[in-house]
Amino acid sequence: MADADAAAVPVDGPARTTVLDSLGEDITRIVYPVSACMLLVVLLVSLLSSPSSPSPFSASIAAATGGVSGGDDIPTALITALTFVVAVTAATFLLALLFYLRCTPCLRAYLGFSALSVLLVLGGQVALLLLSRLRLPLDAVSFALLLPNAAGALALAALVPASVPIALHQAALVAVAVLTAFWFTLLPEWTTWALLVAMAIYDLAAVLLPGGPLRVLLELAIQRNEEIPALVYEARPVDPRHGRNWRLWREGRQPGADLDASSTVEVIGEVLQPDSGNSSASQVHEPATLAGDISNSRPRVTLAAALSSSDSSTVAQVGEVSALQEHRVAVAEMMVPLIQPRPQRSEEEVEDEDGIGLSSSGAIKLGLGDFIFYSVLVGRAAMYDYMTVYACYLAIIAGLGITLLLLAFFRKALPALPVSIALGVLFYVLTRTLLEEFVVQCSTNLVMF
Amino acid sequence: MEARVAGVPEDEESGLLPRPSAAGRRPSSRGARFPPPPAAWATVDGPLGLPLEDAEGHARRFFMWGFACLPFLWAINCCYFWPVLRSSVASSPAAFAPIRPYVVRSAIGFTIFSVVLVTWATTFVVGGERLFGPVWNDLVMYNVADKLGISGFMG
Repeated sequence: MADADAAAVPVDGPARTTVLDSLGEDITRIVYPVSACMLLVVLLVSLLSSPSSPSPFSASIAAATGGVSGGDDIPTALITALTFVVAVTAATFLLALLFYLRCTPCLRAYLGFSALSVLLVLGGQVALLLLSRLRLPLDAVSFALLLPNAAGALALAALVPASVPIALHQAALVAVAVLTAFWFTLLPEWTTWALLVAMAIYDLAAVLLPGGPLRVLLELAIQRNEEIPALVYEARPVDPRHGRNWRLWREGRQPGADLDASSTVEVIGEVLQPDSGNSSASQVHEPATLAGDISNSRPRVTLAAALSSSDSSTVAQVGEVSALQEHRVAVAEMMVPLIQPRPQRSEEEVEDEDGIGLSSSGAIKLGLGDFIFYSVLVGRAAMYDYMTVYACYLAIIAGLGITLLLLAFFRKALPALPVSIALGVLFYVLTRTLLEEFVVQCSTNLVMF
Repeated sequence: MEARVAGVPEDEESGLLPRPSAAGRRPSSRGARFPPPPAAWATVDGPLGLPLEDAEGHARRFFMWGFACLPFLWAINCCYFWPVLRSSVASSPAAFAPIRPYVVRSAIGFTIFSVVLVTWATTFVVGGERLFGPVWNDLVMYNVADKLGISGFMG
């Protein structure tokens, strides 16, 4: 025990290996679902779009926007993107107001309705497109049975993560993101690009400005120690130490911030257990780090579960004050992600977090909006050429890595969209203007095949 | 599979995903400090999943809701409480006894639903127009989509 403590507190060889393994595992667990989401959108775009299909898209979108004739021009795209950003801002402030007034059941009901609508309507349309394109002779009775079952099960898995396996919850979130991103790729080209850039700028403003809506929501969640009702992808924690509270979010600063968050929590947990002196040190640090009392109650499926949970928490607070204090210090290292609703054009809205952070157990959290817009960028690139797909994919993953580095450096919730979108758009333009010409020249002169 | 239930708790804690090799050192050091964890977890997610005291009510609710034309909830019930389903009656812990009936019935219900649906779909696909006559064209899904005009929006 003493040897383990001596090995854990200073960062020597085995501890550094542990830090590297934990960091790598955390990064891969957030990169895998992002890559899966982008891959599925590229497959859907490649499979379902044909040379003759842009005309019906443009015709339907022109009809939807009130008979605006003509092609896709930049002023219309800018107006559409600006309208979308204004709608998102208004919806986010409305969400912050409802959260401030403690209308969490309304938010959860709205979230359920949104997820179910996306899965039923968009999922049904994509399924019909796949059946028609592949000429699968599925009958109407089977389709009527399978589609509501799949949509209901996935919506339940996305909304109540405590009652389904973690893998199913993550798969449901990826499914919602894939369907929404595929719908966004049906917009005209310049509208899509203007929308991506506008959302990246909005994300930067909403998170980092003092009066931004996501900042307001973040501060409310920190003060109340509550879980924001939103669609957030949570990577499975590497060390399942905090069994029941691993989905809550925390914010705080600790000495030794140079370590990774999960390893820092591990080190603090190992240090605090055997020594009471560290407990007194944690008591000193506790008022500075936490703004309020931590109530570990979570939104429950039933009222009886909530009552039993509150009773158990009360008993725990009465019985084991020192244990609670240690628990507070242990979880105070975590960061809080961000939240953002995204209304869409066809009256279907999805609420999700847009930002990146860490949950109470050190697992990385990523808003579902990031999944959607990463996939929209790659899906739009797939409509042009696969070289742009590879370039945009690598740029987005590099941007995500840069955001993770910034997260480890600043130790607060950061917007995950601007760096990746900026790199993605830059690589798309460069690939389209320079690399394609270069490869064509090489192929013409038989330098490469 | 029974070894996962009655065996080492650290293996069960990793759930479906394998832990890195350096994690082998942490459980042993952690076992010296913390009280030993429960010998078995009811869910596939181990300590990250549902607590044991909530498992019975959760399994019962999912089983009952499965009768509302939602057999997929039975499938979720079976997947979530897979350790309960897979452990034999003799070697399973006593805490699994209230959960087991609902999980077993969910498995039976989903199996029946799957067999009926796959049989009907296979008959429809293989039989085709020879078996069903002209009504086959009215039942196949892409023709239904063409009639309703649903696929016109995207296709």
